[in-house]
Amino acid sequence: MKSLVLVKQVPDANSVFRINAEGTWIDESNLSFAMNDYDRYALEELLKLKDAGKLEEVVALTVGSPEASSVLRTCLAMGADRAIHVKHEASSRLDPLSIARLVVAATRDQDFSLILAGLQADDDNHTQIGGLVAGVLDWPSATAVMSLELKDGGTLRVERELENNELQVVDLKLPAVLSVQTGINSPRYATLKGIMGAKKKPVTTLTAADLGVEATSGLRSVSLSPPPTGKGADVLSGSPDEVATQLVSRIREKTGVL
Amino acid sequence: MQSKIIVLAEHDGKVPREISLELLGLAHRIKEGSEVKAVLLGSGIESAAAELASRGAAEVVYVEGTAVENYNVDAFRKSIEPILNDEAPDLVLIGHTPNGWDVAAPLAGRLGVPLVTGCAQITMSDERTLFTRKAFNGKFVHQVEVTGARPLLATVDKGASAPFDGTTSGTVRKIESRLSLEDLRASYIETRAGETGGLDLREADVIVSAGRGVGGPDKLGVVRELAEALGGQLGASRAVTDAGWLPHEHQIGSSGVSVSPKLYVACGISGAIQHVVGMKGSGYIVAINKDPDAPIFGVAHVGVVGDLFEIVPALTKALREAKGR
Repeated sequence: MKSLVLVKQVPDANSVFRINAEGTWIDESNLSFAMNDYDRYALEELLKLKDAGKLEEVVALTVGSPEASSVLRTCLAMGADRAIHVKHEASSRLDPLSIARLVVAATRDQDFSLILAGLQADDDNHTQIGGLVAGVLDWPSATAVMSLELKDGGTLRVERELENNELQVVDLKLPAVLSVQTGINSPRYATLKGIMGAKKKPVTTLTAADLGVEATSGLRSVSLSPPPTGKGADVLSGSPDEVATQLVSRIREKTGVL
Repeated sequence: MQSKIIVLAEHDGKVPREISLELLGLAHRIKEGSEVKAVLLGSGIESAAAELASRGAAEVVYVEGTAVENYNVDAFRKSIEPILNDEAPDLVLIGHTPNGWDVAAPLAGRLGVPLVTGCAQITMSDERTLFTRKAFNGKFVHQVEVTGARPLLATVDKGASAPFDGTTSGTVRKIESRLSLEDLRASYIETRAGETGGLDLREADVIVSAGRGVGGPDKLGVVRELAEALGGQLGASRAVTDAGWLPHEHQIGSSGVSVSPKLYVACGISGAIQHVVGMKGSGYIVAINKDPDAPIFGVAHVGVVGDLFEIVPALTKALREAKGR
């Protein structure tokens, strides 16, 4: 059984973000990028299934700029068998539906039975690529998956995270698409051997034109701005001992717990 | 020009969930004079449907049947799709809840329309509809518009909008589900509680929480000492429980527990929306973080920008001295 993991390159969360000149998104120059954290958990889940002999192939796919190939290298070094790079210079301006259509076009006729994605991306926080791919393919899906088990007869049992520490158990018929919540496993690190071996693994490069998909965006970014100020915290200043004394008097005054 | 807005409502088996009433409230505020309808799915839900009809929906279309008795992505998507095709709404509002986002994206994929998720506000005029949401886990407010697609599909954050404040005398219309469980590719098995070790943060008066900024499990001591000095419980953000620094039962947020202590102290927590959802009901919120732009300062009452390893021990010491007096 073949499997696919969807990965994305996102700005490092510790970056200092500046808004671009148009005021519509962040300025992406001079940022460092990394693999979206949620996607590491999705990849690990497939690698675990492959280690257990339940998958024959794990393929990593990204839709992204030429530089996003480094994320695919990371996946190959961690253990993915091959990679597909759908190159798009302005991928951050594509909407998730267009990306889903590119994913489906790039993997058509490749006989994947299981597609995993991270629950959301740390940059745009859209929380929808897995479900969109499932919708375009008309496959069943599940989001915020906290455990998965391949059962006999082409069925998958998953546990979805709900609210207030509850989990919903659902069976899905394969083929299926899952989006994975963080904490489902402990993602492995690439070994030196893995990094060396990754260089020999195949990476297929495609473009939207190759795939015959018109990659436009039906979602236009109008503005990006800092959250409104005005409410928010009263920020104290001084030495640690000074702010501690101020905090104690505030806690005493406002909470009644002292 | 009158617009039609459909709210995809949720219920807990008997009554509509709060998010559904909030969506009805938002639907009326998005554009004056809009026709607002609701869609509800389940079994034995006539009274929940009637309640929605009295709390903001001009019509409630409810789908009854065993296939939709429990939430199931396949049955729900297949039931909602033909209703949207018949009704041809301008906008569909869905809760940004685990089941809401689970069905919203497959629905968008099937309909071939973009989806806007996690909205805090939506405004509509005859010319354009603007969706306000968060990006970068709350560091920025992101405004987007959808060009050239109908219906517009959006998920809306819990608590982002007040419920409809009037009463309506809407009608209800029942549709018998013709789906059979055997034909579905997803089946609901059960809902179960996650692991707990007996800790119930919902009962705590004081919670001191640790975030990623603490840096490692061996460094939790300062936060634990502050919790002890305050006679409170130790909480955590998702980053801390995911990394295994503390068991999952300590996690506060949309997927952990929601808490409302008298005092909440956030140490090294940036304030991602998922965490804020779970703690914003706290009486008094203290935030300590080295990043002055951390979203946690937007919800805290008082904040200190600085190194938690200097501030937290100083606070613990000052509290012990204050208590000793």
